[in-house]
Amino acid sequence: MPSLATLVLSDARFPGGGHVHSGGLEEAVARALVTGVGDLGTFLHGRLRTAGLVAASFAAAAAVAAGSAEPCWAALDAELDARTPSAAQRDASRAQGRGTLRAARASWPSPVLDALVAAHPRPHHPLLVGAVVGIAGGDPVEAAQCVAYLAVSGPASAAVRLLGLDPIAVNAAIVAMAPTVDEVVALAVAAADRAPADLPAPGAPMLDLLAQSHVRHHREQVRLFAS
Amino acid sequence: MRARAVLAVERDTGGRCVVRELRSESPLSLVPRRGVAGALDTGVTVHLVGSATTPLAGDDVELDVRVGPGAALVLTGVAAAVALPGAGRASTLTVRVELDDGACLQYLPEPTVVTSRADHRTLLHATLHPTARLRAREVLVGGRSGEPSGRYAGTTRVVERARPAPGTTSDRVLLHQTQELGDAGLAASSAYLGGRRVLATEVLVWGDDSADGAVGDDWSLTSLRGRGSLATAVGHDAVGAQRALAEAVAAHPGWTSTVLAGAERARPAPPPHAAADESGRRW
Repeated sequence: MPSLATLVLSDARFPGGGHVHSGGLEEAVARALVTGVGDLGTFLHGRLRTAGLVAASFAAAAAVAAGSAEPCWAALDAELDARTPSAAQRDASRAQGRGTLRAARASWPSPVLDALVAAHPRPHHPLLVGAVVGIAGGDPVEAAQCVAYLAVSGPASAAVRLLGLDPIAVNAAIVAMAPTVDEVVALAVAAADRAPADLPAPGAPMLDLLAQSHVRHHREQVRLFAS
Repeated sequence: MRARAVLAVERDTGGRCVVRELRSESPLSLVPRRGVAGALDTGVTVHLVGSATTPLAGDDVELDVRVGPGAALVLTGVAAAVALPGAGRASTLTVRVELDDGACLQYLPEPTVVTSRADHRTLLHATLHPTARLRAREVLVGGRSGEPSGRYAGTTRVVERARPAPGTTSDRVLLHQTQELGDAGLAASSAYLGGRRVLATEVLVWGDDSADGAVGDDWSLTSLRGRGSLATAVGHDAVGAQRALAEAVAAHPGWTSTVLAGAERARPAPPPHAAADESGRRW
């Protein structure tokens, strides 16, 4: 049974500031790369298999680290940065981590969080989620599931707002990705005990490009989302 | 075929770069370019030449490159590599690079074409001294014209060796990324290749980086944590992707200033009466 922490962290109403991020979808919509539910599914599939796998792997590894006597937070932080070549995406991940940290400190106070923040004052979102799941007694599977789901649910809800898509059809598109979610979670959990340098590192060329492009347009014109 | 190749370049006491060690085995040959009389460039250029059909199923090629203190090497290809079918066996290419204090490497192989039934894996692992510079390009073409891509997975890991000072005990990873071709769902996704066939990247750990990066329709330049930048371009064909990649690289301040400095050195010396302009800069 999933822990309450996992349910709370994956809830869109969790006050972690995740709702201001579209995961590159707003820029994809601006470039007419995503126009409806069909190509939204294709976008989400690519996102899940790349950025989603990286995030799920680091969340699973963080859940393991939370229960370890000598957690390697600095190495996990550095390796996740190295797998996020887009500066805009590193910022977005740390912004969400910082938002989540406030709520996490109030709900799950623990020396584990202090150690994570000591490695970097703005922890990456997947590390924070994995750490909280670990603190609350959850396992790496839950941490990976939560983060893999968030990798697609955030952009999907952004698509509803940006394109006026039918929320019921979009929800069905997310649920249709269950086999890919399971595959990504299995890969992430299989890697969770490895050294941070050996965690999966799939690149996502278009996501990097969209993230950089979003930052530029965000400065020049009004955008709904921060990333 | 199994091949182990080694290339070591050093700077001699006279300031010229020399090839200190060169061992290559078929199917990978290393061919140094002879010096050009009057050339300003004191570095060494070595060509990577495929001396047999490679990469082919079961090929296992490793290349170790070491560039000594202050030395400069350009390692470049002469023709596209065409990855050919793997009957259940993958072909692998592993390149390990060690760059010492003040060393420079430009690793600029020609594109790799991943034909439909190929299964090719590559690893580029570069370790840099904090003062070393690296430029490493990769151009991947998913299939020959009109053909779906074969399987490809290539990992690039760039690590900066810790400074020998107290407090910094571990190496600092700048980039770790695996690119994949041959998965139809990924290739079609606008989060990955958006239906394009060619992916070109260039790592630039070469002087100043632009904090904000730069972006075009089908390319981006973004700064890594700590040091270095990654230029990425996508395209429907190799020519278009390489052109887009060149735009991304041209937006990199460190690389651009090196190119401008080179052009400056190549220019004939100004006549003695050449005046300084209003800003005090000399032409």
